[in-house]
Amino acid sequence: MASVDLSNITKKFGAVEVIRGLDLTVEDGSFTALLGPSGCGKSTLLRMIAGLETVSDGRVKIGGIDVTTEVPAKRRVAMVFQSYALYPHLTVEQNICFSLSLTGVAKAQQREHGAKVARLLQLEPLMGRRPAELSGGQRQRVAIGRALVRNPEVFLFDEPLSNLDALLRVQMRLELAKLHNDLKTTMIYVTHDQVEAMTLADKIVVLDKGKISQVGSPLELYNAPANRFVASFIGSPAMNFLPATVRLSGGVLQAGFAGGATVQIAAPQAQGFDGERPAELGIRPEHVRLTSPGAGIIDGVTSVVERLGNTSYVYLETAVGPMICEADQAVAVHPGETVGLTLDVAHGHVFGADGQALRLR
Amino acid sequence: MNAKRRINLGSWLLSGLTVIAAGIWFFPIYWALITSIRTDDEAVRAGFDLIPDAPTLGGYTYVILNSNILRWYLNSTITAVSITVLVVFMAACAGYAISQLRFPGRTLLWWTILASFMVPIQALIVNHYVIIAGVGLLNTYPGIVLPMLIAPVTVIVYKQFFDGLPKEFREAAVMDGASEFQLLFRVFIPMNWGVTAALSIITFIGAWNTFFWPFLAVSVEPMMTVTVGITQVQDAFGVAYARVMAGAVMAGLPVALAYLFFQRRVTQAIALSAGIKG
Repeated sequence: MASVDLSNITKKFGAVEVIRGLDLTVEDGSFTALLGPSGCGKSTLLRMIAGLETVSDGRVKIGGIDVTTEVPAKRRVAMVFQSYALYPHLTVEQNICFSLSLTGVAKAQQREHGAKVARLLQLEPLMGRRPAELSGGQRQRVAIGRALVRNPEVFLFDEPLSNLDALLRVQMRLELAKLHNDLKTTMIYVTHDQVEAMTLADKIVVLDKGKISQVGSPLELYNAPANRFVASFIGSPAMNFLPATVRLSGGVLQAGFAGGATVQIAAPQAQGFDGERPAELGIRPEHVRLTSPGAGIIDGVTSVVERLGNTSYVYLETAVGPMICEADQAVAVHPGETVGLTLDVAHGHVFGADGQALRLR
Repeated sequence: MNAKRRINLGSWLLSGLTVIAAGIWFFPIYWALITSIRTDDEAVRAGFDLIPDAPTLGGYTYVILNSNILRWYLNSTITAVSITVLVVFMAACAGYAISQLRFPGRTLLWWTILASFMVPIQALIVNHYVIIAGVGLLNTYPGIVLPMLIAPVTVIVYKQFFDGLPKEFREAAVMDGASEFQLLFRVFIPMNWGVTAALSIITFIGAWNTFFWPFLAVSVEPMMTVTVGITQVQDAFGVAYARVMAGAVMAGLPVALAYLFFQRRVTQAIALSAGIKG
């Protein structure tokens, strides 16, 4: 096990700077997810930790040792690729033991190590098969096995579940969580799927355009997003953003919406501005309630109702823009129907014109 | 209905043309085969007999007993196998280096290789002869083999193949600690033996069939390859067509057998190099 320290990491591809002066510490034994949309630089960052990409500037330390210019094989890290990258001409056992065979480990010892990994990942009956004869989930387990056999200090996962179907993804997610519980090895996991990041990681690093947007536990990011980008990226369905004009007065923030509706939010910690300013009220779908037309803060017209069985999502058009409301599974609304909406503003967030969250509580 | 009939008619016409073309292509081979089993008198008799009157293996017996053909077979085997092994090995290494490694002069090297196959071998033959003669390698196996190792098409095919492999294979192997040689010989080449097999077969056939360079590089009979040696049969026996044809058939037999057994691989090799050889 080892910690990973990145200081002032910059990566340029020609004139394009994809990572900009990034500092990050991944604690020893943690499961850290690098989360962000396509092109945010998360895979590049992982590849720089692995040594597959050179660092334009900055230092990479693994277990306190500077490995910035070290070759990948000597960094004591192992990587699981999105495409698994299993060698098609080798059996499962040969794939798992490939790194050992390269270093000249005796065949008997290779088999012993391979068997241990196979037992852990329930691959024993598949050891004689080739990758083409395996299902997606089995291939994924072999790829993990191949990383595991090297006994690395840090595991790197590059969107490892992206190629699996939804059911298998859930299953593999559980297996990865169990594996981390068993091994307690430092794991860094790249994904664009916030559900994966939320369910697996104990720390999430949200990246946006090559910079860290926020670092925190899944619940910290969900409950206290530092900015509009994090708020919109974390949570499914996404948070509602209602344009408003806000005014702070005596520890209370008053937000006024187009059409004249207003809400008041207790904001004892809010400070730093006087008078009115444009902002957005962010409120998650589970904090919006349906009521009779005219009885809520604003009214909306239902456009779509998604019934998921355990809950329903009601999509609405309102005077302040489109909104989503999480409602009871049997909610009796239909497309075209006008409903009233109340907002549980105690759970609301306010984002300034610069996209940064105002600290309210 | 009419359209269907037109399609059928078209396909019959096309099949008929293909059969005629195949017949035209096959006829010289058939003629060589039947001539090789005729008597010398029958071979020079006027007329157009498609079936020999009295088939005989006399031509073959004569060539085997009265020429060095078995030695020429051995020479051809040694040189063709050496050329095949060396060409495939070097082309794989060069193709890998150009495709996967980043080093100064890589692009220049690539363009040089591309340009080199625009130069016909005949244009270089005098240079080759002077160099090989200068280093005293005429009438030796290395003298036959060395100039035949220039095979840019094989390098290009390998480079294209390596270019097409997902980069994750390389990266996974690098993470596992593979050296460049281990990457090439334990991952890249074994990943698809078909390419190497196809290139080996087509290189072997080309090396076996080659005539011009061995004809210049070798002047003593015991060092001749089979393609050069059969010209000696002609010289020794004048216009004994049956014997000449028997020698020609024996010279071409290994290639024909190689093609017969590895037809699929040869076709694959031709497809791989399609558009390259021009």
